[in-house]
Amino acid sequence: MPMTDNQGSFLNRISIRRNQVSNMENNHEQDIEDLELFQKHVADRFSDLLPNDPPSTTDSPAIDQSPLFSISWFRKLLDVFLCCEAEFKALVLIGRDPVQFSKPPLDRLVPDILERSIKSLDICNAVTHGLELVHHWQKLAQIAVTAFEQKPMGDGQVRRAKKALNTLLTSMMLDDKENNYHAKAAERTWSFGRRSGGGGGGAGNNNKDRTNGTFRSMSWSVAKSWSASKQIQAMASNLVAPRGGEPTGLAVPIYAMGTIFVFVMWALVAAIPCQERTGLLTHLPLPRNLNWGQALIALQDKIAEEWKKKEKKGTTGLLDEMQKMEKVAQNLVDFAENFQFPAEEEKLEEVAEQVAEMAEICRKMEEGLTPLQQQIREVFHRIVRSRAEVLDVLDQIGKMSPPVPY
Amino acid sequence: MEPPENDVVAFESAEKIILRWDSTASEDAREKMIFAGDRHEIDRYLQAVDEIQRSMEFATLSDDQNKANSAIQIAMARLEDEFRNILIAHTTPMEAESLTDTSNEDYHDNNSEVDSPLTKELEHQESNSSGSYRSTNSIREIDLMPSDAIYDLRCIAERMISAGYLRECIQVYGSVRKSAVDSSFRKLGIEKLSIGDIQRLEWETLETKIRRWIRAAKVCVRILFASEKKLCEQIFEGLGTATDDACFTETIKGPAIQLFNFAEAISISRRSPEKLFKILDLHDALSDLLLDIEIVFDSKSSESIRVQAVEILSRLAEAARGILSEFENAVLREPSKVPVPGGTIHPLTRYVMNYISLISDYKQTMLELIVSKPSTGSRYSSDPNTPDMDFGELESQTPLALHLIWITVILQFNLEGKSKFYKDTSLAHLFVMNNVHYIVEKIKGSPELREMIGDDYLKKLTGKFRQAAINYQRSTWVRVLYCLRDEGLHVKGSFSSGVSKSALRERFKTFNAMFEEVHRTQSTWLIPDTQLREELRISISEKLIPAYRSFLGRFRTHIESGRHPENYIKYSGEDIETAVLDFFEGYQVSQHIRRRSQ
Repeated sequence: MPMTDNQGSFLNRISIRRNQVSNMENNHEQDIEDLELFQKHVADRFSDLLPNDPPSTTDSPAIDQSPLFSISWFRKLLDVFLCCEAEFKALVLIGRDPVQFSKPPLDRLVPDILERSIKSLDICNAVTHGLELVHHWQKLAQIAVTAFEQKPMGDGQVRRAKKALNTLLTSMMLDDKENNYHAKAAERTWSFGRRSGGGGGGAGNNNKDRTNGTFRSMSWSVAKSWSASKQIQAMASNLVAPRGGEPTGLAVPIYAMGTIFVFVMWALVAAIPCQERTGLLTHLPLPRNLNWGQALIALQDKIAEEWKKKEKKGTTGLLDEMQKMEKVAQNLVDFAENFQFPAEEEKLEEVAEQVAEMAEICRKMEEGLTPLQQQIREVFHRIVRSRAEVLDVLDQIGKMSPPVPY
Repeated sequence: MEPPENDVVAFESAEKIILRWDSTASEDAREKMIFAGDRHEIDRYLQAVDEIQRSMEFATLSDDQNKANSAIQIAMARLEDEFRNILIAHTTPMEAESLTDTSNEDYHDNNSEVDSPLTKELEHQESNSSGSYRSTNSIREIDLMPSDAIYDLRCIAERMISAGYLRECIQVYGSVRKSAVDSSFRKLGIEKLSIGDIQRLEWETLETKIRRWIRAAKVCVRILFASEKKLCEQIFEGLGTATDDACFTETIKGPAIQLFNFAEAISISRRSPEKLFKILDLHDALSDLLLDIEIVFDSKSSESIRVQAVEILSRLAEAARGILSEFENAVLREPSKVPVPGGTIHPLTRYVMNYISLISDYKQTMLELIVSKPSTGSRYSSDPNTPDMDFGELESQTPLALHLIWITVILQFNLEGKSKFYKDTSLAHLFVMNNVHYIVEKIKGSPELREMIGDDYLKKLTGKFRQAAINYQRSTWVRVLYCLRDEGLHVKGSFSSGVSKSALRERFKTFNAMFEEVHRTQSTWLIPDTQLREELRISISEKLIPAYRSFLGRFRTHIESGRHPENYIKYSGEDIETAVLDFFEGYQVSQHIRRRSQ
């Protein structure tokens, strides 16, 4: 099939070429094969992301290094995304006659692709910003760890740790919107009041006031009206499984990639604090009848399971390290409430375990947060590039180039 | 070894002071601020803190250690609050701080929506080349806080850091200063728009926002961020390891990313020709700022910001290149088929020539950005929809110049296509002549454009419109002049002097009819350029008038000797001359050609 090569800009850039077999029949078969391979790869990659079941024997290999929704798991997820995306592009864009995209059903799908890209870019930015908040929490936790690690453990350190942890817990419990509000409050007023010693939970009014001051001003970087959950909802509503039997078969991989986009973005938003996540979808429309759909459903089910385990609905987000941090912080605060100098040996041992765990969480965050942010940035770049290539295709079709405006 | 008596006393009195100011313990302590009070009190407190810290080293009994630790924690918590208080008390809006020098009256800006003293400050320093600047000569730090406040802050920071409370110190600092930066951002009109929002906005709206952003970004990098950096240095330099960097990053990382996100969103917006010049403005502004960005964000922790700025710059460059390509595409494919009445300048021609004139205004940037030859156009292109162009002859031209030449080539190609829609071939030629002439004039009118396109090509273009003029003349006048030829009029051997009267009458009639027709039609045609119009009329007259006169001279007697000569000899030479003056004026003239004489 001759290729329209007027502008040839993006077509000139590519190094991979599809097999240009002169026989149309062969071409079609090749297509189907590639399509199936693509879907299989997607299914495999996502299946690999499912956490291993607990090993039945003690001498089975490596412990699961990446618990579901941990930082390292997310890095794997993003890798999977990038791989799928690359394969998708090779399958759907490269070597294809752009004219195909001007005909149904693909012509309707292209605007959706573009829209999805833009929304994903915004989510990437929001999540990157949210990771800064997580980083901030890590630093607070670090204060507590340092304080607790000082020997012998005295009143001073324990109070210090308690202060930091209370700030941490309060910040975590605040709703996303409230985070913004309190940040503003910190600007105008600051409260000097300090909690009188002993008793009380972490979410009392007094506490909020007290911790206001050390509050990080976490005003979001987007307009108040932007909502992550609405973005996800809009993206998900455009996911419509293609009806069988359409000519080129490209609608299926496009649908698959769209679903992957939505799934990944949804997972990120569920895990990491970003603006406006109330009403986040708990279930995405996933196709049961396709192999990759099943892999995603399995993953989604696992996530829903974890979700249900949480008592609160996880307003901070499902990031594993964050969940653990919250739990340990609460334990440590409880310990601190009841601390009296000098402490008993057993109590010290117990708390040392918790402190060690917190230290480990901080270490994971320290190691993983920046690379995760960088990876999200990579995803951002990739989405930008792919979108540009899609726009190139549209330009080649010639319909989308606007008349010279004079 | 037991601590000496003095030390114990010193410790206890210090402890007393610390405990007195423990705000968990007393209402009084809560309500007053140490650092808002008198100097003596402040010094006493700080000395007490120092004393406690000193005694920590000597304390051996765990009880003593515990007491010391406890006192330190209370002191640190107190100092943290004091620190925060001083910061907040001196966090006044930027406007009050910046030097509002309005001596720069000459600065004109049509769009001074953001006319805060901050931007006036920027304008001032842009024109002023002296002052306490850093090496780039454009960074201008201002003092965000009075020096006594800074002194106090530093005193506190010192103690906090040496007691191991560095993290708390950074947190407090960051949270207060960051909200100060946020409020400055609001005053500068820096908006929080998502990428989605920006893609949906009309380009005109975006142009305004870009303009505003450029001004704001300069202020942010050169004044706002630089000043924050200086403040960090003033307070934290020498205390702890790279504490000033940590505080600076804590303060400005979020805002800086928010700032650049706008430029990034613009850089990825869909390409269309009208966006070129604002994109170039944005590119230039960012490129200008790059050096300052490198200086201000020089620490490891702010590396990602530097990287992002560079990425955005390269995207903007790509966008500019892409838009130029788009533009060329659009010119080639511009599809309007409706012929311009009168064969005058086509709006496309105006648009394109204005566009490339503007490009030549941005010559400096465009020369850097445009590095490859136009993609389409080969000598042997078999595609009838693309013109041929041999770039071989133009080896020595810059890629930008090649693009500009290419653009005029495809413009002409498109115009040729449009000319075919005229039913009248003469008009088609006139149209081509007009438009190519316009191209030539526009090029001549811009020294940069002329220099890039080169006189060789200009000559070619000139030749082209002259040829079109010739084609026009042939197309219209050959047949008219044909009426005035000698052959076919003479008859051999008859009573008359050898001229066929009937043929002659026919000639006159035909000539009159043709001329009237031409006159009627071609008066409504338009040659906008006065000089060209004159030249063409003269050229027509030069051929037509003598021919007519000579024809009249030779054959009028034959007609006049017959019946109704007025039906055949309608016009004198002067009449024709005058009539020619009606041509190409672009409006209808009276049906009848003026006849001065019979």
